[in-house]
Amino acid sequence: MIKFSNVSLVYPNSTKTVLEDLNLEISEGEMVLVIGPTGSGKSSLLRLINGLVPHHTGGILAGDVSVDGISTQLVKPGGMSHLIGIVGQNPLNGFVTDTVEEELAFGMENLNLSNDVMRKRVEEVLDLLSLAPLRARTIATLSGGEQQRVAIGAALVTHPKVLVLDEPTSALDPIAAEEVLSILQRLVHDLSLTIVIAEHKLERVIQFADRIVYIDGQGETKVGTPEQIMLDSPIAPPIVHLARALGLKDIGTTVREMRRLTHEVRGKNYHEASHEVSPQTSISIKIDNLKVNYADYVAVNAFSTEIYDNEIVALMGRNGAGKSSLLKAIAGISKEVSGGVGVVGSNPQNLKGKERRECIGYIPQEPSDLLYGQSVAIECEQADVDNEINPGTTAKLLSQLVPGISGDTHPRELSEGQRLGLALSVVLSSNPKVLILDEPTRGMDYQAKRELVSILVSFAKSSNKCVVLATHDVELVADLATRVIFIADGEKVADGSTLDVLLSSPAFAPQVAKVMSPHPWLRVSDVTAAIEKL
Amino acid sequence: MKKPSLHPLTWWIWAGLLAIAIVRFQSTVLTLLCVGAVAGLVFWLREDAPWGKSFSWTIKLSLWILFVRTLIGILIGVPIPGTTLFTLPIIELPRWMPGIRIGGAVTSERLSSAVSEGILICAIILVFGAAASLTSPHRLLRILPVYVYEFGVSVVIATSALPQLVTSVSRIRQAQLLRGQSLRGFRSWKRIAIPLLEESLARSLDLAAAMDSRGYGISRKRSRYRPIKWRYTDYLVILSAISVVGLS
Repeated sequence: MIKFSNVSLVYPNSTKTVLEDLNLEISEGEMVLVIGPTGSGKSSLLRLINGLVPHHTGGILAGDVSVDGISTQLVKPGGMSHLIGIVGQNPLNGFVTDTVEEELAFGMENLNLSNDVMRKRVEEVLDLLSLAPLRARTIATLSGGEQQRVAIGAALVTHPKVLVLDEPTSALDPIAAEEVLSILQRLVHDLSLTIVIAEHKLERVIQFADRIVYIDGQGETKVGTPEQIMLDSPIAPPIVHLARALGLKDIGTTVREMRRLTHEVRGKNYHEASHEVSPQTSISIKIDNLKVNYADYVAVNAFSTEIYDNEIVALMGRNGAGKSSLLKAIAGISKEVSGGVGVVGSNPQNLKGKERRECIGYIPQEPSDLLYGQSVAIECEQADVDNEINPGTTAKLLSQLVPGISGDTHPRELSEGQRLGLALSVVLSSNPKVLILDEPTRGMDYQAKRELVSILVSFAKSSNKCVVLATHDVELVADLATRVIFIADGEKVADGSTLDVLLSSPAFAPQVAKVMSPHPWLRVSDVTAAIEKL
Repeated sequence: MKKPSLHPLTWWIWAGLLAIAIVRFQSTVLTLLCVGAVAGLVFWLREDAPWGKSFSWTIKLSLWILFVRTLIGILIGVPIPGTTLFTLPIIELPRWMPGIRIGGAVTSERLSSAVSEGILICAIILVFGAAASLTSPHRLLRILPVYVYEFGVSVVIATSALPQLVTSVSRIRQAQLLRGQSLRGFRSWKRIAIPLLEESLARSLDLAAAMDSRGYGISRKRSRYRPIKWRYTDYLVILSAISVVGLS
């Protein structure tokens, strides 16, 4: 169906080879997963399929890419629209119309299909993706998972043979992600659709993939079945790390397979791990009957809690559950707030300038919102000046957090992980007492996540500091958080230690916990520690 | 009650007619009445969508224009005889600039003419701002004939970027406030403008790529899903504007 013959790609004004001599044939009805570190060229590979690269971006392409026998050199992306449906990284940016129905029809209107065909196909897709109740809604008001489904539907209405998706679940909560992925799997099985998908969160997708393309970022690529690639891939889901740590001969990519493989390991008699309860010292954040009201709905309702220093608290919940609103209220940026919020004894709404910087550090969903310098060096100098600290302190902090960033680089050219590192070092340079992060791991690879975890853990361990973060990433929470608060519809549903909350709901349990159940282990390190004690 | 769904061109035609009426009125009171009615209509009818919120920014923009226009009207201009309110020092200009005077006596007539001219300009801006906030830019694109493809793409990118810009500004302002930056003065604008520009550029490129890969403009002919029809409510809106022109 899709054929890459001797494909090499270089972007203009760049010496880096994105792809070198890639040969790959994807047959009909295959689901292919593209993995690699951030910035390694996964998106480029996806966009080569319908010719957006190089028609839209420029760049030198050697070799040939053809889909169903049509070469992308001869046909522009528009000419492939009946053959290839493509869903971008951020679907909201790609929507052309405002209501769900019109958006679904847009691609067919371009192909000049007759009105009765369009009516029929729109109904089909509405049913296929369970979008029927949303048909007349304005797209901007939909939740992330619903928007992702609309984007997939809009790509499917032209009855393409190939569907290309760039990180379809990165912004979704675990349940919405599962929903989207199971729809994709159904499409492969029912319609024999060919799907190419790029994703960082392997734990979510690897079980669906027939083959994996691994791009290492230096132009090298490797193609193979998930089992072959996972034998030595540095990018691997926790389940594979578990198999490696246990020294298993075979590597399972699904929970079911891994449970079969670990039957013996689980059967042994383990000592109950003693939970060390960290001594609670003083309250950092006190929230008392907090309400956040927007014009037409209540985002946070009667929320009370106390967060102590040394704690790393993860807020979890569906898309639109009120996590961001709660974080903004803690940071004192919402105006629509009633009830009490105290951060280290002061009302965050009244904090200004230096005082604010020294009390609360806040990293928004888009870390680049904080940055305005023309280069990394200027950004760091500005932070030094703002905080009246020794010149070079922020730059030093940055090189500790994320080594190897040149000072001349423009913040825009950094990878997601590096940009977050820069924003973090700017915020941490003022030594805040409380650090708040909103969805820090969007679009981050495992390497960057590991770095983030070590930064945040060391920050929280330094005295009188606490971290509050909102995230969908169950594996991150398992690695990082000491406490989890689960929110639904603006209300607190569960609040407790990470172990208790994550183990109590299967949808939010990390992979290791699912495999090793009923043992209360969340991470690979928990398992190995327990085996050592045996 | 369910708000009427109108043809995307209706409000733009309506705005054009009202602008004609406002120019023909030559009366500050009637112009202000008109603006008041338009503003009321916008706050009643606007949707809860990014473009719906752009009207308050239009108001701020036109107030700023009114202020600058009045200031310039007082400082520079042809002297109008009348009751002198106060006198500004006259700045000597070279001989080759006859007929222009900076400073001098400010009469109430001069002040009122400066204000009323400013109001006229602002009223026209506001009327078109109202049309922009009442019409979805995307619906506007849907009625464009496909042979103006290239033009259509640039229009949709420009118009959808502007209102989303407004949303982005408030988001970035929030983030900067949280970094503990004060948001007053000219320098703060740089802090907002740079991330804003980057974001909207990236967004526009995404949109263009998405439209391209979904086949926009590949066929000369383009079919319509549930074509937007011209309804009697559209005639009513246009008729109301025509009658205002008639009155003027």
